[in-house]
Amino acid sequence: MLELAHFQVLSAALFSIGIFGVLARRSAVLVLISIEIMLNAVNVNLVGIAAFSDRAADVRVFGQILVVFIITIAAAEIGLALAIVLRVFRNRGSANVDELNVMKW
Amino acid sequence: MNVNFSLLAPEYVLVGVAFAVLTIDFMLPRRHRFHLSWLAAGGLVLSAVVVMVQRWDTVETLYGGLFIADKFGLFFFVFFTTLTAVLVLISNDYVRQHIRQPGEFYALMVFAAVGMIGMVAAGELLTAYVALELLSFSLYVLVAFRRDDAHGNEAGVKYIVLGAFSSAILLYGISMVWGAAGTTYYDGISEHLASNAGSLDSTLILGLALIIAGLGFKVAAAPFHMWAPDTYQGAPTPITAFLAVASKAAAFALILRLFAQALMPALEEWQVLIAVLAVATMVIGNLVAIVQSNIKRMLAYSSVGQVGFLLVGVAALGHIEGGAVIPVTLASDAVILHLVGYAFANLAAFTVVIAVSNHIGTDELSAYSGLAKRSPYLSLVMAVALFSLAGLPFFVGFLTKFYLFTAAAEAGLLWLAGIAMVASVVSLYYYLMVVKRMFIDDVAESDNTPLTIGIPRLSWVLLGGLLIGTVLLGVYPQPLADAVSAASGAILPGA
Repeated sequence: MLELAHFQVLSAALFSIGIFGVLARRSAVLVLISIEIMLNAVNVNLVGIAAFSDRAADVRVFGQILVVFIITIAAAEIGLALAIVLRVFRNRGSANVDELNVMKW
Repeated sequence: MNVNFSLLAPEYVLVGVAFAVLTIDFMLPRRHRFHLSWLAAGGLVLSAVVVMVQRWDTVETLYGGLFIADKFGLFFFVFFTTLTAVLVLISNDYVRQHIRQPGEFYALMVFAAVGMIGMVAAGELLTAYVALELLSFSLYVLVAFRRDDAHGNEAGVKYIVLGAFSSAILLYGISMVWGAAGTTYYDGISEHLASNAGSLDSTLILGLALIIAGLGFKVAAAPFHMWAPDTYQGAPTPITAFLAVASKAAAFALILRLFAQALMPALEEWQVLIAVLAVATMVIGNLVAIVQSNIKRMLAYSSVGQVGFLLVGVAALGHIEGGAVIPVTLASDAVILHLVGYAFANLAAFTVVIAVSNHIGTDELSAYSGLAKRSPYLSLVMAVALFSLAGLPFFVGFLTKFYLFTAAAEAGLLWLAGIAMVASVVSLYYYLMVVKRMFIDDVAESDNTPLTIGIPRLSWVLLGGLLIGTVLLGVYPQPLADAVSAASGAILPGA
């Protein structure tokens, strides 16, 4: 039987996978995909609480509202990020984040 | 629900101005487009006037508490619009030389101002987050605005990747707080924390920690500061000033309202966390600034150090006496005052950096050797700005740091005030090194640009205003202090 804890564990796992991806991936596009995974971990958490929490219905529906906002903002954010990564790729012929080292310290 | 839409008139004015700038940009011949700065700055000032006429004594909430109009919001509305107007005018010459799409540049700055105002006015976590993203999105584009510049590209990628990463952390924190408290409204969270004091859900604590980490990224507090130096160096210089002054002030205004109105009852859980962040930020920012050879990077690390001082004020927002949380109004006063004083000094410093780099074409510290011989006025303003940032007496920086350290002592955080004072002395070293370069060293022989540096008339006037402000607020702060205590009285009542 599904319960809230399952969703919370799934969400924590997704979030950790996302953080690992951000730290370990070298391609800027894969880093952005990892950030998407983190944002979706948030959505899973919210939907899980909205579905299984023992609070009143009008409190729970707010979680779904939050999810819609997060999906919209995440889409805009990734669009912007890809536009900037595209510029980097055009200028350098590579989107490897390790090669972004013109500036350090 | 009865919504008083006319209350939002000042925000409508701002958004209208931003779209007007975007539209008129198409109709002007290319060489006149940089003049749009006057329209943008005029609109920003106009909305500040409208808000003062309309909301002087208003205390009202819109959309059932999503949006709060009070003295705190009013103060920051006027502060942010004035700040953005000055920044728009400062960037005038830079835009003429380096930017091919002035209309979009100015319009995005106005949109960023709308985002900052939303962050201050928000009475609920999701609204605050959406406003924060409006600010961040505008800044992502502005940082990467020079599309063919390698530094600009790199700064843009680093900023947006870490910005999105921190947004995800912040949202995860918000989702946990909502799950545990059942609400995202500040007053609701505050009630929940107060009624469950001593037996808080561990999800809630984790959520708070994640929110603090997410906001720590946004204000570039150590250890979340690594994006700041690279982004500051690679961004167009007026945008660096925007990041260092305006977006930081907005994030701290959001933090002040959130901590004062929502998280105050859980002071015991977050005070130590913020204090540790403050120490790490002050130490790392001020020590690493010493070894920088690029003035924008040095100012970036100096601003990380200043964030540490501001966090001292946030940690001092309350103290626990006999099991009850007593708010310290002085701390919130001190944070706001420091934001204003820091804005004056930092804007002056960045205006000098823009004037020098427009003339010499570099931001390396070596370009500042012998600046006093090339332009006494620029080096005077720079010296005063740096003295104020270091916190020397007679300048506004001394006064605001004095407030901050007094507040820390009042909240029982004497050790924190002690560390802050040591960090402040360390910061004096690298600020003075720049002053020494300007006044004692000779002009580098390899530098073959004309000896005298010409300053455009507009920059001359703005520099004069910032210089007078830095000194005047240091010796006669009463009007500002009154306005600030009215503002912080709105979020920390009954202290």
